[in-house]
Amino acid sequence: MLGKAASCNHTSQGRRAVEQLRTEARLERMKVSKAACELLQYCRVHAQSDPLLTGVPASANPFKDKKTCSIL
Amino acid sequence: MCDQTFLAIVFGPCDKCSKEKPLRAIYIKSEQLNYCSLCVEMMATEGLHENETLASLKSEADSLKGRLEEERAKLHDVELHQVAERVEALGQFVMKTRRTLKGHGNKVLCMDWCKDKRRIVSSSQDGKVIVWDSFTTNKEHAVTMPCTWVMACAYAPSGCAIACGGLDNKCSVYPLTFDKNENMAAKKKSVAMHTNYLSACSFTNSDMQILTASGDGTCALWDVESGQLLQSFHGHGADVLCLDLAPSETGNTFVSGGCDKKAMVWDMRSGQCIQSFETHESDINSVRYYPSGDAFASGSDDATCRLYDLRADREVAIYSKESIIFGASSVDFSLSGRLLFGGYNDYTINVWDVLKGSRVSILFGHENRVSTLRVSPDGTAFCSGSWDHTLRIWA
Repeated sequence: MLGKAASCNHTSQGRRAVEQLRTEARLERMKVSKAACELLQYCRVHAQSDPLLTGVPASANPFKDKKTCSIL
Repeated sequence: MCDQTFLAIVFGPCDKCSKEKPLRAIYIKSEQLNYCSLCVEMMATEGLHENETLASLKSEADSLKGRLEEERAKLHDVELHQVAERVEALGQFVMKTRRTLKGHGNKVLCMDWCKDKRRIVSSSQDGKVIVWDSFTTNKEHAVTMPCTWVMACAYAPSGCAIACGGLDNKCSVYPLTFDKNENMAAKKKSVAMHTNYLSACSFTNSDMQILTASGDGTCALWDVESGQLLQSFHGHGADVLCLDLAPSETGNTFVSGGCDKKAMVWDMRSGQCIQSFETHESDINSVRYYPSGDAFASGSDDATCRLYDLRADREVAIYSKESIIFGASSVDFSLSGRLLFGGYNDYTINVWDVLKGSRVSILFGHENRVSTLRVSPDGTAFCSGSWDHTLRIWA
């Protein structure tokens, strides 16, 4: 009995796997060249507003220690 | 290891024939039904189409997999780093430890930033969860969980609560209160229940829902107020170790990575797996979406980080070096997506140029494995947590 029930499980698992693969095969895909261009584009557009990329002066970054003032 | 490692025999009325018999729990479209073994067999044989045997299903699966590979290969006309050749190279980076948060008594396992770009929640092996003010390094809240190995913690979007969990198989939410007379542990709310350890958790866009990943191989979406399971996500063949929600503009999806070496993208409403990627050679410890939501990065025990583009439906970059032989435990992008920070088990943090595929910097400082790493919400700094009991803020 347990053997038959186990094979029923495998069949339903197999059916689910085939359904999943069919769904994934239907996906609409873009060429890597186009997708890569869009990634580049995003980086370029947002580069200026990326503090870790451009580096911000100590005064603007709360984590960088401000230099102490010295009176000449 | 998947959901069930043992079978408990329940005796009761069958959902189909109503007779009192030993029951088996079966799942149809994520709903659990209790059928007696006779009804299970009848139902399974009913559904069998002509000539549909296990072997025919397997060969269909194999041919579909082959077709998928062909379709994906057709669109692979160029590599990302080739397209990026015309982009300016990055200069020298000077990033240093600006703050060190000391206070945990054992390995730091997870951390998360608050939306106020200042507070941080961290959890550790000794069961302690601490909320810090990263500017001053003061501890604002601390709670001791009833279990050790608190592997997951998250800050609520409102900043008024935190969620955490680990070996207790649960995800609990603690409201944060500044009332000195109130005991944080008293207001604890148990939200998620898994059948194995909690590996990751994250609030969705509001304080009302939590997404969890577990060693039981599933992810789940929960309602915080009622603790009700809203959706479950089955498909990983082994422990799920990490998850990340898509940036809000791109809709209701999330990506998860697991010990089955697969990264899977899910639709949160239907529970369906939309895409899956299996190119890593070992456990995927960390996944993080690219800021635009069109791609995601993963860090794995195979010592590489990889970038997968969702619209091209394939891996588009590998970040690796022969000299890097220890696994990457945690990855995150800078705000523009140009930099990828990876925390590794060899105690270092490698900074990668996402577009060109080269390493731009290597950061030393931790005295044991880096276990967790997150960039702050405004991108001014990133925080790393380590098995050396400390967290470091880098800028």
